[in-house]
Amino acid sequence: MFVNFFYKLREVGIPATPTSFLRLQKAMRLGLISSLDDFYTSARAILVKSERHFDLYDQVFAHYFRGMDLPDPEGIELDEAARMLLEQWLRDPEGVAEALGVNPEDLLKLSPQELIEYFLKRLKDQTEAHHGGNRWIGTRGTSPVGHSGHHPGGMRVGGASMNKSAVKVAMDRRYRDYSMQGLLTQSQIGEALKRLRYMVPFGPKDHVNIDETIYETMRNAGEIEIIFDRSLRDRLKIILMIDNGGWSMDPYVDVVQILFDYARNQFKDLKTYYFHNSIYDYVWADPPRRRKPQKVEEFGRLDPETRLVIVGDASMAPYELMATDGSIHIEERNLIPSIDRLRFLAKNFRHAAWLNPRVEMEWHYVRTIQTIRMIFPMFELTLDGLEKAVRHLMKNN
Amino acid sequence: MRFTGASKYVLDPELAQIVNISMALEMPLLLKGEPGTGKTMLAYAIAEALDMPLIVLNVKSSMKLVEALYQYDTLTRLNDSRFGDSKRDVSNIGEYIKMGKIGQAFVSDIRVVLLIDEIDKADTDFQDDMLDVLDQMSFDIVEIDKTIQARNRPVIVITSNAKKDLSDPFLGRCNFHHIAFPTPDLMREIIEVHFPALERDLSKACIDTFYRLREIPGIEKKPATRELINWIRALRSDPDFKTARLGKGEVPFLGVLYKKSMDFTVATQHLARGIRN
Repeated sequence: MFVNFFYKLREVGIPATPTSFLRLQKAMRLGLISSLDDFYTSARAILVKSERHFDLYDQVFAHYFRGMDLPDPEGIELDEAARMLLEQWLRDPEGVAEALGVNPEDLLKLSPQELIEYFLKRLKDQTEAHHGGNRWIGTRGTSPVGHSGHHPGGMRVGGASMNKSAVKVAMDRRYRDYSMQGLLTQSQIGEALKRLRYMVPFGPKDHVNIDETIYETMRNAGEIEIIFDRSLRDRLKIILMIDNGGWSMDPYVDVVQILFDYARNQFKDLKTYYFHNSIYDYVWADPPRRRKPQKVEEFGRLDPETRLVIVGDASMAPYELMATDGSIHIEERNLIPSIDRLRFLAKNFRHAAWLNPRVEMEWHYVRTIQTIRMIFPMFELTLDGLEKAVRHLMKNN
Repeated sequence: MRFTGASKYVLDPELAQIVNISMALEMPLLLKGEPGTGKTMLAYAIAEALDMPLIVLNVKSSMKLVEALYQYDTLTRLNDSRFGDSKRDVSNIGEYIKMGKIGQAFVSDIRVVLLIDEIDKADTDFQDDMLDVLDQMSFDIVEIDKTIQARNRPVIVITSNAKKDLSDPFLGRCNFHHIAFPTPDLMREIIEVHFPALERDLSKACIDTFYRLREIPGIEKKPATRELINWIRALRSDPDFKTARLGKGEVPFLGVLYKKSMDFTVATQHLARGIRN
């Protein structure tokens, strides 16, 4: 029963497993499901394993039992993209005007509705023509603006109101908010970074080593011999380099800030440097990148066991990365292209990772990301990405 | 056996159906949701309503699965073998095996509710291995080469605060529910259960203020049900408090609602601006 419903769920991307579907059949056989309301709740609890899919489930349910229009997945993404564009427009009209290639004054005359229409039209042109165009209104519809972990409105979805039928409840789409990414909080980052540590014995011998104690006691013919060890302390050295320049990193400032705050509390031996776009001859220890320059060559003298973490979008014009004198800052004259500086750092620090706040889906479109990925293992600046990066940084090879 | 709610727990019918179906299918129920939506309280309510003992396993990040199953108390055995002043038989390792929380739930003579709280704190291996144990309802004690088989299948409730998903094999073996934050209407019911004698207008004023405070942007830990209940308790114990003060936008005892100092500062500033306007 309801085989089509099951396949529809899978079609829209809800990873419902055959096992769970059989389980639902079992529940029905046991007589536990006697109404459509029961079916709505039970099937969701059994088949859908993440609240992020609740909204999709509601849509499929409404479609299946009431023949509601099921928007194609692209349509849903477009929704998102349009909403994000609107938000961005409210915050920064000039940036949007520039991206759409229109005069800011003209844009200000548009109503939000007209803006969206204009945007959708542009998007259509773009798909057909296959221009590279402005990446951030690409067909995937995930604008980098939306990725800064902003969570508009918070989760204000109410509990069930059971006076309504299940179909009505499903049509309400109560779980819409959950389909978006939540705010990265300090404690979540803490969880992810917890494994990033290197424990070494430190301080007085005040820790009982049980295994050794038993072993020595046996050797001593049962006369108890207690063995003490030094306790373990974290002695991991970390260098954090942050791209803090230019508008391209602006949307991610919040999330990087949280990461940085956490890192500062957590790691005893942490050095932070700043750069703009890419790394040339110098990085700076002060955020405005003016007073405390540090020659990149000098990093060659540091302990190679130090973990190097670079945070940046790695997106720039190819010449900025490849050419000598590639820096966009006129006062920086450099003879070695940035790419060689990066290679130098990667060679010196065996354990290095690049955290990129852009969504992984977009990396493919940016040439410099491709190039830098060959030098540094690159990870998304999300919870999952952080975990992967930490695992990579702690690998012993 | 059906679960229909408990004395101090306001049950949403949707959740009741999910609890009942999980019990009938003998599957663990995984609950997610914001802190303060009553995930942990649900297990207490089930235990109370079905009159079963509750066993709570508080998961910690450093925890190993075996600790949740059983512990082999080597130190006591070493001590006994050295001084020999206890009644235990040193040559029988079985006497030094102590059951952990999951072990206790398995060997219990009657069916129990097993709450595994904040599973997301442990690493993925712990989670997957634990589900293996819960799936087979048995585990081995390697030291004495004995298999412990569950006498009664416990009702298992697992909670998680994490935004990110647990591993696929884990999710595959659980039923899932996400508890949304209560609506103001449901919150009114919850408050009535906790403060049966509370005046209507005070209850309304408190709930209105509470939901307004939850809207303040830039807060890391939003006040939840627990904070609201404590806050009302604080207000009622203050003889100088008048309901009208809430209407004017004043919020006494703000520290009860915001426990992080950053959040407290943000909320204070926000309120100060609100009153001036």
